[in-house]
Amino acid sequence: MTTQNQDIMIPEITPELKRGPQWLQDKRTASKESYNNSPIPRRGLHLWRYTDPASFVVDKDQVVDTAFRANLNYTIEAELAHLKDGNLSAFVVDKSGRDIEINSSDNVTSDVIIISTLSDAVESHFEIVNKHLYSLVNNETGKFEAMNSALWNDGIFIYIPDGKTVEQPIHLLRESGLDKSAQFPRLLVVVGKNSEVTIIDEYAGGSETQSDNMSLTNSAVEIFGDIDSRTRYISLQRNSEGAKIYLAHRANAEQNASILTVPLAFGGAISKQNFGVTLNGEGADSKMYGLLFGGGRQHYDNHTLHHHAVGKTTSDINFKVVLKDKANSAYTGLIRIENSAKVCEAYQENRNLLLNKGCKAETIPELEILNEDVICSHGATIGPLDPEMVFFLKCRGINETDATRMIVSGFVEATLKQVPADLKEKIPEFVAKRLEDI
Amino acid sequence: MSDKKPILEFKDIHVEVEGKEVVKGVSMTINPGEIHAIMGKNGSGKSSLSNALMGHPSYTITKGEAYLKGESILDMEADERSRAGLFLAFQYPLAIPGVTVANFMRAALKSHRGADADMSDFRKLFKAAMTDLSVDQSFATRYINDGFSGGEKKRIEVLQMSMLNPAMALLDETDSGVDIDAIKIVSEGINRYQSENNGVLMVTHYQRLLNYVKPDKVHVMMDGKFVLTGGPELALKLEESGYEWLNEEKTGV
Repeated sequence: MTTQNQDIMIPEITPELKRGPQWLQDKRTASKESYNNSPIPRRGLHLWRYTDPASFVVDKDQVVDTAFRANLNYTIEAELAHLKDGNLSAFVVDKSGRDIEINSSDNVTSDVIIISTLSDAVESHFEIVNKHLYSLVNNETGKFEAMNSALWNDGIFIYIPDGKTVEQPIHLLRESGLDKSAQFPRLLVVVGKNSEVTIIDEYAGGSETQSDNMSLTNSAVEIFGDIDSRTRYISLQRNSEGAKIYLAHRANAEQNASILTVPLAFGGAISKQNFGVTLNGEGADSKMYGLLFGGGRQHYDNHTLHHHAVGKTTSDINFKVVLKDKANSAYTGLIRIENSAKVCEAYQENRNLLLNKGCKAETIPELEILNEDVICSHGATIGPLDPEMVFFLKCRGINETDATRMIVSGFVEATLKQVPADLKEKIPEFVAKRLEDI
Repeated sequence: MSDKKPILEFKDIHVEVEGKEVVKGVSMTINPGEIHAIMGKNGSGKSSLSNALMGHPSYTITKGEAYLKGESILDMEADERSRAGLFLAFQYPLAIPGVTVANFMRAALKSHRGADADMSDFRKLFKAAMTDLSVDQSFATRYINDGFSGGEKKRIEVLQMSMLNPAMALLDETDSGVDIDAIKIVSEGINRYQSENNGVLMVTHYQRLLNYVKPDKVHVMMDGKFVLTGGPELALKLEESGYEWLNEEKTGV
């Protein structure tokens, strides 16, 4: 028996979380029990080999801090301007998963997008929420998913009814508080039959520096793509340098639905992110184009899952990692194809570029292919910049630093191509910033 | 010595790769307007020489001197040699995924002109260079050498040369892996570039390219040394008789 330290147990659900219908309260209580009764994962366990689970435990007394960095106001103003110019359908500011401010474009009517707080949606869209919430990320998913499931205060609900195309992206800004804060944001997206939407999910803020009091953000994302739907989900993690991030993302693609997932990560001190798509209907397709660029002493631990639950489904992952200084990254990518899921195609590629000697990357492809009637490939590389490429560019007069920048920019280009116009300038800026002092 | 300063001059160059000496003391003087060719079998050291002259970090020059327009280049990095006017067209041009030909070419030209240079003429120059070398305009937005055929790669190399307009061009096996139509286009490009003010050094196994670009001097390289130097007729003799007679001659001496 593992004895649990009382300090890291979730106490009684606080009164402010005791609202909403009984089924929701029951879920919270069950999640709390799951968390409290499950041991802290052992380091040798699958998915915990690379990151200390103790990083994501919160003290009983840990407060939710609502003090935010003032300089995020710039981002908010810029996105509000995008919204005003008609380049966004909606812009949502989510402070610590508590205070959620929704700004919708005048051009978008509520028969195309329904976007609200999760606490409102529990009442106003009871059936949809009841059917989907907790069905992909819940108390059984894992200890820290149980933590979010018990403690989320408020979340974001996005519902696109059948047959609607949302032309411009919906941008979410999830802001974390400063030192000692703990937040449990939650997102539920339901995309109706033959509907289309792009969602940009941006995580910012958190502790500025690494210390014993680093902020924790434990986020849960559930996405449902109904028959023939097309969903693009861009996750941009650009938290401050002392932030700890735990993200559980799961999506379901029904028949002929396509889901594009673009995980991008530049920030945080310790960042453990888990992106997974289940292909649930024939013709469903999932593509993931990931990029992380770490520096300093950042630690990244990314897991992706492509689960082919039925046949005639396709998946493709291309996850790119660039590291410098003493940053480190572990990538584990699981492709699971069920025995009954014949005629599937699944591809996985993970390339790691190390810009100096002090950084470290690991890559582990995991294939669970239970039938032979599939086309499947995977590839992984870890290495420094190719000196021949550097020489080639130098031979044309380009100095070593610019040559390096050029090669790295080329390396990440394929991923950046997937980024919607709203982020077209922003993302290369993050890359450029990392490349400033090489 | 003629009164004009040589474009490229090197003396007693020795080159080591991974501790093994592959070039064993070679010298050459290329005056403005001259086209030279180095011919030799695979492994004779001719590619090692051109890579070493360009400053490839794996090719160490252990002894000798090299001057570009009278200026010593051996302490320069490759990018400095390029900006000083030296150019190397690669035998196997490398693919750089994600970097478009246009962006690369712009950066290269900018590095030659200086950081604050006006680049407003770039698009026009680039388009003209592409037309000259029968390169489809769509190549501007393709990634450098990524999925290019052998001929396309070599044409893009010559395009880079024509835009940077170097004082001295080293062309390493520019005729290898190329069909006859591409050879014509590539050699026309070389002839357009070539002038009374610059120098060309072609490194080649075969005499094929030399039908189109006429060398003033041919140097035959064997086992890291120049064993014979002559006029264009030497290239023809090598084409007819191969390199074996040289072996006999050499061992005979």
